[in-house]
Amino acid sequence: MAEQPTALDTAFAALATFDWGQDAKALQPIDEAVVACHGNAGQRTELEARFTRLLSQPLSRAAVEYSCRKLCLIGTAACVATLAPLLDQPEHSHMARYALERIAVPAAGDALRKALGTVPDELKIGMIASLAARRDGQSVPAIAGVLAAASKADQTRLAVAAADALGQIQTAAAVDALAAAASTEPAVAAAVVNARLAAAEGLLAAKQPAKARAIYQSLAAAAAGQPDAKSIELAATRGLLACAELTAAS
Amino acid sequence: MVGERRMKMMLWSRLVVFLLGALLAANAGRGAAAAEPTDPVEMAIELLHRADADFRQLGLDAIAHATPGEAATYRYAAELSKLPAGQQRELLAAFRDRGDAAAAAAVTALLLASADADVRADAIRTLGVLGNATEVELLKAALAKPDPEQAAARRALVTLQGRDVGKQLADAARFGEPSLRPQLIDILADRRERSILPDLPAFLLEEDTALRLAAARFLGMFGGPEQVAGMVAGLLQTPAGRERDELARAVVAVSTNNRGHAEAAKSFLEQFKQTGAAEQEILLPTLGRIGGPEALGIIDDLVADPSRRAFGLKALTVWPTAEVTGRLFALLEVTSDSAERQQLLDGLIRIAPRPDKTINDGKRLELVKQTMALCQRDEDRQRLLDRTDAIRTVEAFRFVVGYLDNPALQEAACQSVVELAHHRQLRDAHKDEFMKALDRVIAVTKNEELSERANRYKAGKTWERKKA
Repeated sequence: MAEQPTALDTAFAALATFDWGQDAKALQPIDEAVVACHGNAGQRTELEARFTRLLSQPLSRAAVEYSCRKLCLIGTAACVATLAPLLDQPEHSHMARYALERIAVPAAGDALRKALGTVPDELKIGMIASLAARRDGQSVPAIAGVLAAASKADQTRLAVAAADALGQIQTAAAVDALAAAASTEPAVAAAVVNARLAAAEGLLAAKQPAKARAIYQSLAAAAAGQPDAKSIELAATRGLLACAELTAAS
Repeated sequence: MVGERRMKMMLWSRLVVFLLGALLAANAGRGAAAAEPTDPVEMAIELLHRADADFRQLGLDAIAHATPGEAATYRYAAELSKLPAGQQRELLAAFRDRGDAAAAAAVTALLLASADADVRADAIRTLGVLGNATEVELLKAALAKPDPEQAAARRALVTLQGRDVGKQLADAARFGEPSLRPQLIDILADRRERSILPDLPAFLLEEDTALRLAAARFLGMFGGPEQVAGMVAGLLQTPAGRERDELARAVVAVSTNNRGHAEAAKSFLEQFKQTGAAEQEILLPTLGRIGGPEALGIIDDLVADPSRRAFGLKALTVWPTAEVTGRLFALLEVTSDSAERQQLLDGLIRIAPRPDKTINDGKRLELVKQTMALCQRDEDRQRLLDRTDAIRTVEAFRFVVGYLDNPALQEAACQSVVELAHHRQLRDAHKDEFMKALDRVIAVTKNEELSERANRYKAGKTWERKKA
């Protein structure tokens, strides 16, 4: 006699054909299983495997979105290979990033980095934003490359996204890449300055005043005596004071 | 003379402490600066001297809210004398926010050296925040200066902290420079410094009017039963006029509002009974305002005594609550004296619509209607209508609306209708009636302001009362 399908089996069967407008109650056993597997590695692996099997077949956007939202909670390196191919599909790229950005395994970062080199330009901003959110230091050369290329090619939005990302990543290489960035496009130049200030603030918050001071000093020196750059000089001076206060306090 | 010597000694000792502190701090700063080129205090000082206000503000923010410590304060304080007046004031403001008393000596030095009155006033304000009992003499001296220093000193003496500050100020109010004593009493009142209270009744008998008025103000705010006898003595000695009214108000406040007011009222009554007829006449209006059953008994006796009836009636007509209206109506019915009739009617016009916790709004309106029926002159009816807006009910509104078409009374009725319409809840709850009445006001009033207000209320707008 065939084994009776469990509630979870039924829910996954429903998810395979799920689309927007349908009653999401059918998926409730999956929601409950995601909650229940917390702290239970075996259940979690089994659940992750169900999602990866499901994502290997054609699905609606609604089903992919639902699966990615759950994988960002329970996903491990095991699901990366399933999610990575979705990154260059405009329809699913954002949700795949949504999951990979939050799965704290190096393989997820590798997948995003690899995709940055292959996805079309309109999806690159998303890859950069996800790598920045992961503060992925290994992606700095690639993002710095995007910044340089986009600045030359007048791709302002892409260049601004790359500058912002480097400001969030805040590694020494990111800081150097920002310092070396050269753009005559005002929006990009402003984004680079903002990113450098953000990087310095991040370093200050991480109690690294010497590194932060170097950025502030460079910005203050470049802005000194230029009326148009007074706000930059003010911000940098405020930062220098904060660095000095932190140094004195420690 | 003694105060002056004490002040000089205090200043010298402060100056020595400041110079030593500044010297030590400057050396510490130099050492720190040599080892660490990014000394925050040095940076803040450099910013302080910038011509650009935005950069100065960065330095001032650091002084006010960061770079803590006495040593840093001494270094900042040493800059005070090097800055132009405007920037001195900025730095003084930063010191007030910083709140470190280590800057007090430099601020005192600036106060004594500056030729700019605004700088001196700001230095005084700063001492009010940073100083302690040591600064009392200096700030007292500033009270004798013209504004803005005097106003700043007054405020500074109110905010000045320190264990002996209140005592020093109270002593100065008792025995100090006569011209400053009234101000000092007001300052003590603002500080809620009650230790001076027992002395104040005696001040009411002194020659200086300003001192007597200040004492009356203080007593009105904080006086209790213990001060009533002295206040009565002061009241009896004060000539009729504004000053006596002020003191009478203070006695009423002590006997109806302040701590132990029931006991104070009792004490006043005792004092009243112990005085002679002439003095009682002076005290009667105050007795009337204080009220109470025993006082009412005394007044009834006076009214019954033909030789003192006028005084009794006077007290009755200033009574604080409606409990005397029955007596007033009864007396009106039997009196044949026209002046007395008018006096009683005036009392009813005053008391009937008056807000009163002892009766409800309906009863107040009933009293108004009864009083209206007794009025024989339009000016009395006008006064009553004018006061009826104190009863904020739709019934009172309907009562005054009834007079909108009476040419002799319509202006007073318009006034009350508009005042009642000012209360949005009342107006909105009876919108149709109010709209109709406001249309009538607009049609008949000759008062432009009333017409404007009526139009605003009709449009659902509010109106801001012009300040007197």
